[in-house]
Amino acid sequence: MTAVGMGTSRSDADAKVRGLAVYGVDYREAGMLHARLLRSPVPAGRIIRLDVTEARSSPGVHAVITAADAPEHRNGLVLLDTPFFADDMVLYEGEPIAMVVADTATQAQSAIETIELEIEELEPVSNVAEALAPGARLLHPDLDSYEILPGTAPWPKGGNCGGVMSSDPGDVDEAFEEADVIVEDVYTVPRQYQAYLEPKSATASYDGWRWTLNVSHQFPYKARSRVAQSLGVAESRIRVVGHHIGGGFGARLDLGIEHYAAIGASLTGRTVQLLNDREEDLLSCMSRENATIRVRSGLTNQGRIVAREFECLMDSGAYAGDTPYLTSIVLLMAGSVYRVGPTRVTAKSVYTNTAPSGAFRGVCGTYLCFALERHTDRLAQAIGMDRREFRMRNLFEPGDSMLNGQTLEDADILREAFDRVEDAAPWDKAGKGPLRGVGSAAVIWLTNPLAGSATLGIQEDGSLGVSTAATENGSGAVTMGLRQIAAAEFGLDADQVYVTSPDTDTQAYDAGSQGSRTTHVVGMAIEAAARQMKPRLFNIASGLLAVPPDDLELGGGRVSVRADPSRAVSLAEVARTALGAGGPLSATGTYSVPLPKWDPDSAEGLLFPVFPVPTYHVHQAEVEVDPDDGSVRVTRYVVAQEVGRMINPDGVYGQIQGGVAQGMGYALWEGLESHRGRYTRRTLESYGLPLAVDIPDVEVIILEHPCEAGPFGAKGVAEPPIVPVAAAIANAVSDATGADVTSLPIDPEELLAAIDRLQEG
Amino acid sequence: MQFLAPDTVEEALRLLSDRGDLRVLAGGTDVMIQRMTGQLPRSESLLYIGGLADLRGVSRSNGMIRIGALTTHRDLRCDRTIVTHLPSFAEAAATVGGWQTQAVGTIGGNLCNASPAADLAPPILVADATMVVSAADAPMRIPADRFFVDRRRTALPAGQILLEIEVPAPPEDTWESYLKVGRRGAMEVALVGLAARFSMVGNRITTARLAVCSVAPTPRRLRHAEEALTGSTLDEEAAAEAARRATEEVDPIDDQRATATYRRMLVGRLIRKAARLARQSLEIR
Repeated sequence: MTAVGMGTSRSDADAKVRGLAVYGVDYREAGMLHARLLRSPVPAGRIIRLDVTEARSSPGVHAVITAADAPEHRNGLVLLDTPFFADDMVLYEGEPIAMVVADTATQAQSAIETIELEIEELEPVSNVAEALAPGARLLHPDLDSYEILPGTAPWPKGGNCGGVMSSDPGDVDEAFEEADVIVEDVYTVPRQYQAYLEPKSATASYDGWRWTLNVSHQFPYKARSRVAQSLGVAESRIRVVGHHIGGGFGARLDLGIEHYAAIGASLTGRTVQLLNDREEDLLSCMSRENATIRVRSGLTNQGRIVAREFECLMDSGAYAGDTPYLTSIVLLMAGSVYRVGPTRVTAKSVYTNTAPSGAFRGVCGTYLCFALERHTDRLAQAIGMDRREFRMRNLFEPGDSMLNGQTLEDADILREAFDRVEDAAPWDKAGKGPLRGVGSAAVIWLTNPLAGSATLGIQEDGSLGVSTAATENGSGAVTMGLRQIAAAEFGLDADQVYVTSPDTDTQAYDAGSQGSRTTHVVGMAIEAAARQMKPRLFNIASGLLAVPPDDLELGGGRVSVRADPSRAVSLAEVARTALGAGGPLSATGTYSVPLPKWDPDSAEGLLFPVFPVPTYHVHQAEVEVDPDDGSVRVTRYVVAQEVGRMINPDGVYGQIQGGVAQGMGYALWEGLESHRGRYTRRTLESYGLPLAVDIPDVEVIILEHPCEAGPFGAKGVAEPPIVPVAAAIANAVSDATGADVTSLPIDPEELLAAIDRLQEG
Repeated sequence: MQFLAPDTVEEALRLLSDRGDLRVLAGGTDVMIQRMTGQLPRSESLLYIGGLADLRGVSRSNGMIRIGALTTHRDLRCDRTIVTHLPSFAEAAATVGGWQTQAVGTIGGNLCNASPAADLAPPILVADATMVVSAADAPMRIPADRFFVDRRRTALPAGQILLEIEVPAPPEDTWESYLKVGRRGAMEVALVGLAARFSMVGNRITTARLAVCSVAPTPRRLRHAEEALTGSTLDEEAAAEAARRATEEVDPIDDQRATATYRRMLVGRLIRKAARLARQSLEIR
């Protein structure tokens, strides 16, 4: 089993380094047409006139498509609230209104510019507070009549809320009466743009009955179902072929622009390619939502948290997207990691006249952890207790439950993680000196449980093919992790295993690259396939060697006799023999994670009820704040992360380093703020992604507690390292300067003011 | 649109005078972005002067340092004469964009683009530089502090190009530096950039020069603040007075990068930082 637990080369590295890899934007078909979208120039308004006559007769134009030519029904991830094209009302800047298909993209753009569009502008509902104010204009007056995803239990919604999740155990107010001290805080965070290298694209063709989409999508089967849903056709009429992905981070999980390419293809009968330019990609991207979090806790002078209220208002933008799901995560985090007593939780998905928000690595966990851990520091300070001591006193123990009733039997891993961080960077010695500080943050995170599959085939040359609709989104989960798992199952080296790219016509369902699921779920599917295939493999070898199957073993590309390894047949020979002895050595395995128990009565509107295969994380940051400009330098960063079992150290360390970098961006520089419905930073130049020069080397401590139901014990790894970063850094910055740090990104101007107060005081 | 690439300065000037519709292109790190974002018309024809080798490089003679207009930021940050005698130029060049930008972007382009945030502008202002500009007969000379007329407007006459920048070699016992604040460690447009130069005789500052970018429509000297430091020992009191005066001399705006308030705070703090560093470096007691 040497293939597991060691570094290996990525099977996609060579093509990517040489520029040979074909990404979605690189895909070409002979004679294909090009499309451009006309997007709303205003955040809110009513379309008075849309005249496309001139565009239709512009040079090179094959079709001009508007709401009049598109399906009338609405579509959506869970709440079907989104029109194909804006028809009567436009609800955000960048909302598609029409599409032109032409011989070239330049011709399509020129034709777009001839379209006469007249919009009666409305004052935008520009933020959550405005949306929830009494008498606010409703973005979706027909909300009650919208359909929901079949199979989903209805959830509370209404007004400008696309979803409300609430939980009230009933004894919260009484519990607050036991408190010696009550602390209340409000935190605000802006949106974060996924800022992948490859802007969104889609290339579609149509054969008179079925559509084929060539995309770089994290979740081809979701692209299939969402395109089908938006066109109003059966899913099986859509084929999605996946190509190399130039980064996703969650922004390629839902429908992007695939359905526009699809309708272009069926209306012209030609292959149609649609590419976002960078500005429209940024303006229309389903970024991590902005949010306001209010948390109020009661605690005793001895440092016990006895009661809590937690409210989170999440800006879904103009359409709900995944936000009704995300409200559930508020319940799963509001009373986790530390014992908190009876807790009342409300989370709302709120409509505003801004681009729809969506999934970004760690989703709302990043800002919930920021709010919770800043608040935890403030609680400790309110009773004059050391912040680490306070955490240790309230830390979860094995058998403690989250607010959904899910019990964590292995919660002692949290304490182990804190201990290991303490060994590496002792708290009492960390962050000492003028304008230096230390902060820590802990989180419990999930492994996404959704179904996956893999088909294994031993080839006639003795190599092993893994065919799966799982996507390689850059983490190496497919090109390293799955190859290693498959190799280990058959005693091969990882370089004797190849993986194919996704195609929904030839591979069974897979829920895509999300929530750290690929290695865990698809790894289990590979193990299931291996279990199916091995008896036949040994039987055939048994016939060739004239030795009972039980006396044989696999290794080094051969099946050999255990007692006399010199007697062996190669896997190639076994595979060739199989062709005439019942057919090729091939098997498909499937898996989905069994959900842990929870209390269905714990909340209303709980669409995402549990954290399956939980993992445990403690981060500690040390910072130094510049007295002259208020900038923050992270001088040391330590991560203790529980992974179950490490399949590939390079992949694990890389994902942790990358997650911390992305979290630092969120903490210190990034952010899409909007003013009256328009983003103020509209280019990558001003957006402020983290740079190599600003990121320290991350010290990584891996904890391994192999998971019984996991491939070689592996749990999810790649998503969570971003989650606690802003929290740990914000706590360290507050420690260094005395600033409250209640919003992100951390504002150097606020820090300078705090430094002045320090120096005056 | 046409792309013209002359081989000699004479040919470039002839093309410029023959037709009035040419946009001069050097490294392209500003012009190309302005074309892409529609600030400059895409139909405009380009006169590429990047091939005029005579205009690139640094030389020193008779107490004068000459910097060709096409000298790149990378040239500046690596050039021995610049690093030794005009370190604020090297430091400013090292903060422009990223390495790719520094490899093609030129000092002439940075100055002629006349962005309020031009990193090389404060150094030429504190250095009493002279801009040598082409003219019909003999080259024309424009003092640096009269070069920047308004946001993105210079005193460069239409149809002419900047040839070189002439900088007197600084006297002994001079300290200079460029201090820039951006949000991140690189790839930043200055929120504030400050060039400071102090010359000392005995234990006293005889000449104090301060210039800033990103806090007014044009990069500018801070003459009142300079006066507060002239004759001082760069002590904290004098630095604080200079900082106070400087915040009155600047006129920053709120934009997507920073608030005016923060920029004002930064100007004062950078002056105090410069005084602190200079005092240390010049060993003033």
